[in-house]
Amino acid sequence: MPWQNQNGGKDRGPWGQGPQNRGPQPPNIEDLFKRGQDRFRGTFGGGFGGKRGITVVVAVLVALWLFSGFYRVESDQQGVVLRFGKWTETTAPGLNYHLPYPIETVLKPRVTRINRVDVGFRSGGNDFTRGSAARDLPEESLMLTGDENIIDIDFTVFWEIKDAGMFLFNIQDPEGSVKAVSESAMREVIGKMPLQMALTAGRSDVQEETKQLIQQTLDSYGAGILVREVNLQGVDPPRAVIDAFRDVQAARADQESAKNQAEAYANDVIPKARGEAARIEQEAEAYKAQVINDAEGEASRFRAVLKEYEAAKDVTRTRIYLETMQDVLQGMDKVIMDENATGGVVPYMALPELKKQGGGQ
Amino acid sequence: MKPGGIALIVVLVVAGITAFNSFFVVSEAEQALVVQFGNVKEQVREPGLKLKIPFVQEVHILDKRILDLDVPAEEVIASDQKRLVVDAFARFKIIEPKQFYITVFNEEVARQRLQSLINANLRRVLGNVEFSAVLSEQRAVLMQRIRDLVNTEAQGFGINVVDVRIRRADLPEENSQAIYQRMETERKQEAQQYRAQGAEEAQRIRANADRQRTVLLSEARRQAQILRGEGDAQATKIYADAYGLDPQFFEFYRSMEAYRQALGKQDTTMVLSPKSEFLKFLAPVQ
Repeated sequence: MPWQNQNGGKDRGPWGQGPQNRGPQPPNIEDLFKRGQDRFRGTFGGGFGGKRGITVVVAVLVALWLFSGFYRVESDQQGVVLRFGKWTETTAPGLNYHLPYPIETVLKPRVTRINRVDVGFRSGGNDFTRGSAARDLPEESLMLTGDENIIDIDFTVFWEIKDAGMFLFNIQDPEGSVKAVSESAMREVIGKMPLQMALTAGRSDVQEETKQLIQQTLDSYGAGILVREVNLQGVDPPRAVIDAFRDVQAARADQESAKNQAEAYANDVIPKARGEAARIEQEAEAYKAQVINDAEGEASRFRAVLKEYEAAKDVTRTRIYLETMQDVLQGMDKVIMDENATGGVVPYMALPELKKQGGGQ
Repeated sequence: MKPGGIALIVVLVVAGITAFNSFFVVSEAEQALVVQFGNVKEQVREPGLKLKIPFVQEVHILDKRILDLDVPAEEVIASDQKRLVVDAFARFKIIEPKQFYITVFNEEVARQRLQSLINANLRRVLGNVEFSAVLSEQRAVLMQRIRDLVNTEAQGFGINVVDVRIRRADLPEENSQAIYQRMETERKQEAQQYRAQGAEEAQRIRANADRQRTVLLSEARRQAQILRGEGDAQATKIYADAYGLDPQFFEFYRSMEAYRQALGKQDTTMVLSPKSEFLKFLAPVQ
């Protein structure tokens, strides 16, 4: 039938939304008549027959057909009305009317909804959070950096419809295009950047540059899509080498702690040495004072004694001598020997014996 | 039912079918060709309700939108003999439906043709540059060059290639392993360097502390010796001044003092002669 011909035998509609023949079937006049008559007879028990019954049935069907033109546009949608496939009108949210099928049809793209495309992983839910059930896709997320290293990047692109008409009629697979263009753009941007930069400081640059590149490419397709945001979910070294990267972090910490330990040592040693130095100096000062004081004391004692000695030299001298000898000899073993008595023979003296005796006492 | 009624219904049905066959709808996203016995009679670029001669002419609907085309991953050898796996995609549009219909007939065939065209040009363009060029600002230029080359040939099919983009350009698995190894050794070097630097700094700080300690202590000892020397000198002078007043008496006095300190202990045995000065009164003078 010519009406079905418009699909050219493809099983996908021109907007990829399944077969076109949803909604009321095209009126097949023969069927219509028959059905009308059947129903009429069923209702009125076949008593009436004739034209009046047919007219009523036709009128009801026409009314139903006209009524089928009402449609609702949700608040996040826009109604795009096509008359025989030609875009004639764009309608706002609310209840609207279009001429019934097959004259007019309506498409309702969600224009204010923000869509997301994940690259490098698949999130569990449709939420805007990166679900805990996120599954990594290394074939999407591993890419070469400008210095021929490999980096693992997961990111999400948020986009919305900028122009419903362009979105619907200019491009075959808008979502697929966003995804393919995003992948390509990210790789292009990362491909110009050295690994270290991409891992650290370059993050926001990557997001911004990728977003612009995606937007630019989609605009060149006239896709009617606005890229809201490119969000880097994870920028990591590849799993195969991540331990080595972590070890670098650990090494930095080790460096810091070695330094801190040495500082602690220095902080311990230097004050102690200062204290030790002070002690040494104080001891020397003390020695000096002691020596001088001792000398002064002894000197003045000597002077005092000398003064009295000069007054009576011999007596004093003898007195001192005798006093000293008395003190010295008092506690001593004494042997008094007269050489005349021994008659010149050297006397035998068991000095060790004496010593032992002395020690034994 | 009366025969007249049946005839009426038949006429209506035939008229209806004919009417339907005379109209066709071209939607906003489509374009159409009206074909009569294999010859293209008309190109329809505008959407809407269109007329044709019923039964004689048929309508071919073609997409007017930008169509997507995935090119399977392909191994390409760059001019420096490095191999890379390139996964590309293209976006194209049928701009001359008539030409398209005559040369490739339908999308299926067109896609196959385009795929091989893109592959050939990928090899040609990327085979002429070094691998590093793909990882540089040049990438965009290379993609444009591929697109332009593909375009010159695709024009013959009534197709305009809007864009050819390299989705992925990666090294083959074996080379990736080599890169991983290199990355790992680089990181190990880095880690080692950090640790060594840490040790260096620590040594420096410790040695500096030790030096300071040694200097502090030796300075203190120097100062101590100076002080002790001053003390000794002063004491010596004090003694000399006092004892110099009467050296003979000093000798005697100090000897007595020394005897007192040095002798007079229990374990000393003294052998005395009765003729000694101390005992001179013990034996009668001869």
